[in-house]
Amino acid sequence: MIARIGIVGTGVAGWMAALALTRALPRTEVFIIATEGPDHSLGPFGPAEASLPDFPYWLADHGVDERELLHAAHGSFSLGTACSGWAGEVDWFLPFGTIGAPLATTAFHQLAARLRAIGQPVRLADFSLAAIAAASGRFVRPSEDPRSILSSYGYGLHLDRAGLAETLRAATGLRPLGSFRAFADDEVELQDGSRLTADLWLDCSGPAALLAGDSGWESWAEWLPCNRVVENWNPAEGIPPPYCHAGAFEAGWQRTVPLVGGQSGALFYSSAHLPEQPNAIPIVQGHRPRAWTGKVIALGAAAALVEPLHGWNLAFLQNALARLLALLPAAPSGPEPAEYNRLTAEEADRVRDFAILHYKTNGRAGEPLWDHARTAPVPETLQHKLDLYASRGRVPLYDGELFEAEDWIAVLDGQGIRPRRHDALADAIPEEALAQHFGRIRSLILDAVRAMPHHGATLRAEGLIA
Amino acid sequence: MLIGRVLVVGGGTAGWMAAAALAHKFAGTPLAITLVESAEIGTVGVGEATIPHIRHFNATLGIDEAEFLAATKGTYKLGIEFVDWGCKGDSYIHPFAEFGAPIDGVPFHHQWLASEGAGAFEEYSLPIQAARRGRFRRPDGDPYNYAYQFDAGLYARFLRGYSEARGVVRREGKVVDVALDGESGHVRAITLESGETLEADLFVDCSGFRGLLIEQALRAGYEEWTHWLPCDRAIALPCPNTGPLPPLTRATAQESGWIWRIPLQHRTGNGHVYSSGFTSDDAALGTLLAQLPAAPLAEPNRLRFVTGKRRRQWVGNTIAIGLASGFLEPLESTSIHLIQVAIGRLLDLFPTQAWDPLDAQEFNRLMALDYERVRDFLILHYHCQQRDDSKFWRHCRAMTVPDSLAHKLELFRERGVVVQYREGTFLEPSWLAVYLGQHVTPNHPDPRAGGAGVTGAMAAMRAEIAALAATMPSHEAALGMAA
Repeated sequence: MIARIGIVGTGVAGWMAALALTRALPRTEVFIIATEGPDHSLGPFGPAEASLPDFPYWLADHGVDERELLHAAHGSFSLGTACSGWAGEVDWFLPFGTIGAPLATTAFHQLAARLRAIGQPVRLADFSLAAIAAASGRFVRPSEDPRSILSSYGYGLHLDRAGLAETLRAATGLRPLGSFRAFADDEVELQDGSRLTADLWLDCSGPAALLAGDSGWESWAEWLPCNRVVENWNPAEGIPPPYCHAGAFEAGWQRTVPLVGGQSGALFYSSAHLPEQPNAIPIVQGHRPRAWTGKVIALGAAAALVEPLHGWNLAFLQNALARLLALLPAAPSGPEPAEYNRLTAEEADRVRDFAILHYKTNGRAGEPLWDHARTAPVPETLQHKLDLYASRGRVPLYDGELFEAEDWIAVLDGQGIRPRRHDALADAIPEEALAQHFGRIRSLILDAVRAMPHHGATLRAEGLIA
Repeated sequence: MLIGRVLVVGGGTAGWMAAAALAHKFAGTPLAITLVESAEIGTVGVGEATIPHIRHFNATLGIDEAEFLAATKGTYKLGIEFVDWGCKGDSYIHPFAEFGAPIDGVPFHHQWLASEGAGAFEEYSLPIQAARRGRFRRPDGDPYNYAYQFDAGLYARFLRGYSEARGVVRREGKVVDVALDGESGHVRAITLESGETLEADLFVDCSGFRGLLIEQALRAGYEEWTHWLPCDRAIALPCPNTGPLPPLTRATAQESGWIWRIPLQHRTGNGHVYSSGFTSDDAALGTLLAQLPAAPLAEPNRLRFVTGKRRRQWVGNTIAIGLASGFLEPLESTSIHLIQVAIGRLLDLFPTQAWDPLDAQEFNRLMALDYERVRDFLILHYHCQQRDDSKFWRHCRAMTVPDSLAHKLELFRERGVVVQYREGTFLEPSWLAVYLGQHVTPNHPDPRAGGAGVTGAMAAMRAEIAALAATMPSHEAALGMAA
């Protein structure tokens, strides 16, 4: 029976874990130990986090008021990620929402393929409300009425890390018991020399993995070439755009997460392709296949480190915490750790594939990093997806996928990958009906976006900007 | 571009379901759909019990429920009652619904397992409580689902009418030869007894166990699972209805197998599935006759089968659907469901004029997952029991199960975790129904379970379910039949 759980790390990961555990396990003693240095518990990816659309639900489930959090964390709303430089000259957008709509039972991207086959250009993002709203700087919370086109998207949050950690801390009502000095024999030694025991230790100390460091790291460097990050912060006036930006360049990419008052940045690069930059933090992308070893469970960046192209690091942690709670061991030496590790690794591998996809399908010809990424072999699971997509626009999903087929298609299509064939049924639809269908979706979206408040107006209405 | 011609070989349930689905999906396209069947060859379709997915199939085709029930003499089904499986004297029901509702964010079954005096697990299932009382009502926003029991032969006839009305051409004749294309290895044509040759671009093999195209011509190979599921024969025998119609299929375990009882509007389907390694055909018939609720309406229909699946269910331009693709005994009413899954996947991966072997590969990968996951679920019924009254049950208890099932069992036995997956028919509530119904009890409670309000919340759920069940009409009334 687990009576005492100790958390090491007072960054976002540690406080999220503390909040999830104290709420789910009221009869278990949960304590937390502070760590030194900047909060890299979800990765050294800039001073802000960008979430996927499931994070607002997590907050609500855990009693965190979204407006208060946004206020404390200079937060803003997110409708997706704008990607530039990846496909060559073409920019694209991964929206937090549906793209188009099927006609009868034929998927939208199959219809688009048919239109392209008859020489009509189609840009998928033009048929996504989230993408168009983002491009026009508009945001309003989605509708709960499934008949409304305003229910066709979700939203993520952009949050400054310190404000997020502090809000989570306040929600737990906990204070750190002390500061971490060392870990040995399943005991943590504090700076004051006292020693603490626990039935389970959660290592939320980031890539340093102060507790879990010896349990083995599997590197994905052969597929994900960026091995350095430079975090930065650019103060800015005005209204933050309601989306993240990921801009590729010759030697890596730059992440921008807009907040109220400035932009959180992270420059990812490969040290083989760019001279060392000041303040660069070395990273080894990969994961800890045995994240749970003995009494120690690595969480957050201690468990997996994948460049956050689409804000999956928060989602990883949410899912890991849910999994941990569902698999809290009932007795020593049970099967729970192995099952936890199996599921965690499965999810990490799928996100790894999604990240590699951006490199494998890049359109930057003539640059060594990108030429190599395009030609080098990728994991079999990703190759199977690529093969099936190239064949007829299908994306097979495995267990543990964080992203749905529609997300994969948005990236593949954005990157300029075109299937060799499309569904035969799309051919059976008269051109006129297709054009009507596309026209109707487009005008519905444009009308809806025109009526939407600007992001700034929504932020102001919620008291987030003056 | 769309291919031109599809030929469905075989006109049983699988054949007509495939033809109907194709006719619906490709309505308005030039795709020519032909089905060839022979009146001389009987179909296996004995009374069929289904799972709720069939409703989706019918709804997609725009089939009206009342019309369908009338045409197939169908009844409503809220679940399957398993009698004598865990131990002799047991009865549990596998419904199409979740049990209870989470309390304090903790899954219901964990709360129930950790509670003392919370009553039987089935008291937390509205469909079970309704079924126990012989009652049925279509869910109206209620969290349960239902399926049907119907005459599969009549269903095939019904779908034939549907298909022919939508342009499917039916040909009568026995296939005597299959011609392959020397270069591609695709099936080029079949020859009928009359000497007539039928060509097509795509062949759907619904010819039953023998797999006329997929096996006899294309040698797809067969993966046997008889070491896990030892039953290999069945005897089917209808009898008249006696007494009220339960909204349930019943599966009663026997010394060397099990007996199904499927209530239809006009008769009751009965059958004994057994293992020839553990009992004789005569003894099996005797067992069935002894338990028949009324005198038989027909001669016994004897079937032999080999549990397993074709190694490849799509080879070249031929897709096997139904018994031609494999066989899993109807213990969980999955035969028609697996037909439906295969049809859905075929429509998803429908070939184009530019054949790509990837379509077949993906179809085969997904169908293998479907078959294996149903297989594991079936093995669970045989393996997890405490019957000591026959060699058959001792054998099933002692056998080594697939690793995929052993893994699931280990986690449930330890602390009640149900392993989830993306592809596959049976979800958590189904596994729970069988685990708990057959006395697979976790060794440890979930650490989150318990808390001040749990007992009260559970009592309220129980009371609400009992009250709701009591307000439902009888099954016969719901069917519009005189009681």
